[in-house]
Amino acid sequence: MKKFINRPENLVSELLEGFVLSHPGTVRLTGSNLVARAKPKDAGKVGVVTLGGSGHEPGLSGFVGEGMLDVSVAGEIFAAPGSPRCLEAIRLAERGAGVLFIVLNHSGDILSANMTMSLAQREGLKVRKIVTHEDIAGGPNPDDRRGLVGFLPVYKIAGAAAEQGRSLDDCLAIAERMERNMRTLAVALTTATHPSTGQPIFTLADDEMEIGMGQHGEAGTGRMKLKTADETAEMMLQMLLDDLQVKSGEDLLVIVNGAGSTTLMELFLIFRKVHQILKDKGIRLARSKVGEFITTQEQGGFQLMIARMDPELLQLWDAPSNAPYFVVR
Amino acid sequence: MMESAAARIREQQGLLSQLDCIAGDGDHGTTMLRIMDRLESAFKTDAPDLRASFSEAGWNVMGSDGGASSSLLGAFFLGVGEATRAGVSSWDCIQFAAALQAGLQAIQAQTKARPGDKTLMDALAPAVESLVAAAQAGNDLASALKTAAEAAKAGASSTENLIARYGRARLLGEKTRGHQDPGATSVALIIDGFSQAASEMKGGIEHARHG
Repeated sequence: MKKFINRPENLVSELLEGFVLSHPGTVRLTGSNLVARAKPKDAGKVGVVTLGGSGHEPGLSGFVGEGMLDVSVAGEIFAAPGSPRCLEAIRLAERGAGVLFIVLNHSGDILSANMTMSLAQREGLKVRKIVTHEDIAGGPNPDDRRGLVGFLPVYKIAGAAAEQGRSLDDCLAIAERMERNMRTLAVALTTATHPSTGQPIFTLADDEMEIGMGQHGEAGTGRMKLKTADETAEMMLQMLLDDLQVKSGEDLLVIVNGAGSTTLMELFLIFRKVHQILKDKGIRLARSKVGEFITTQEQGGFQLMIARMDPELLQLWDAPSNAPYFVVR
Repeated sequence: MMESAAARIREQQGLLSQLDCIAGDGDHGTTMLRIMDRLESAFKTDAPDLRASFSEAGWNVMGSDGGASSSLLGAFFLGVGEATRAGVSSWDCIQFAAALQAGLQAIQAQTKARPGDKTLMDALAPAVESLVAAAQAGNDLASALKTAAEAAKAGASSTENLIARYGRARLLGEKTRGHQDPGATSVALIIDGFSQAASEMKGGIEHARHG
């Protein structure tokens, strides 16, 4: 393994420290390594909290800030944090209007979140949970669909709604509307090295790619010979459009998320083709983002996400945020 | 007893990570090391109280941030603690079996996974069931735990021919056949550690001294 690390056991605390130190005045570390907004949200507004494993930077703590998340609970490398710290995060984010707890559909996160919800209820905390599961590689059953980069619009929309002072029920309803209207598909080209074990997390031949690869390098479902950028974009976009049943004239948000070692150059090639196809089909590209929002170390590949937008969702997407990795002015 | 279980996991951590590479992210061994450290430390106390120690162990294990393994094993130890009366510092075989049964029920409340789904339940459920049966049949702790360890090992081995239906691995379907489940393997090692410790002591479980 060739990585700049000190001691594997200190990896997570050191990366969190580096992250908050590089964004003073925006985020801070508090309690048991919780990443929180530097300036707490006004009293009477809904808190927004998430949890997830580390090793996916800038996900998920990079999206803590005014207008997005209040607190992020980072687990160990690729592993969900446990309930004790999640509960602490919910208490911290509670400003008198309840807390929205955003959970990406991965078995460890779900187990920890469910346990956290029952502990929070025991304490009388007002918490509502939303699970993101938009990865179409999981098949038709929503429980089998993992939460991939779709967390980004959900954090953004929920965070903006909370900042506007909407009620917990309203924030949940609008976050759920965003969640229902998004789809993601991932493709992998090369493996990532687990930074604690030094082992590759899967193997893929030099001339192969794998559609449906999970965020933690869990093997996907469709291994095939490597295709060009245009062919890959076309195949993946078609699967997403079919699954979301997008009609011409509708407004889409498109996100191309690099997995870690795929270059921005390649991501732009993918986006170019997506743009071309949508134009041909008469589907409006309302908003777009190309970059790295959630990575898996040096894994090669990308996630393509589409989401159907309406005027209210677009307005919340455009609302201000000072989250270090999602600044909107 | 916890030292012995931790030792078994430490011996086999490489294998556990290797098994996890097939359908997971290859870190089950390191996750289990963190879990066992926290489990052991909860029993290093001068005030022997099994309820307090198991509750602390459960909370610590859950807080080790080790994904599904720490949530489930944490729930298990928390369940054992909650079912134990405060101030109890030793158990006989029947009491120990009842405590582990409460732990199993606590896990069952957190996951729908059952034996046959290729998870840690494939080792844990038969181990607890055979422990309870052996205790009720009047066996002493050492022989009851020996039966339980065998059941856990057989349960873990049986996962080799199963298809994963829970956790990250479930999306892989047929590809998961042919390899033993890492979570079930860990549970079998822990019960085997308990069994080894019990065979070296007489009578029941006593806190601290054999803890």
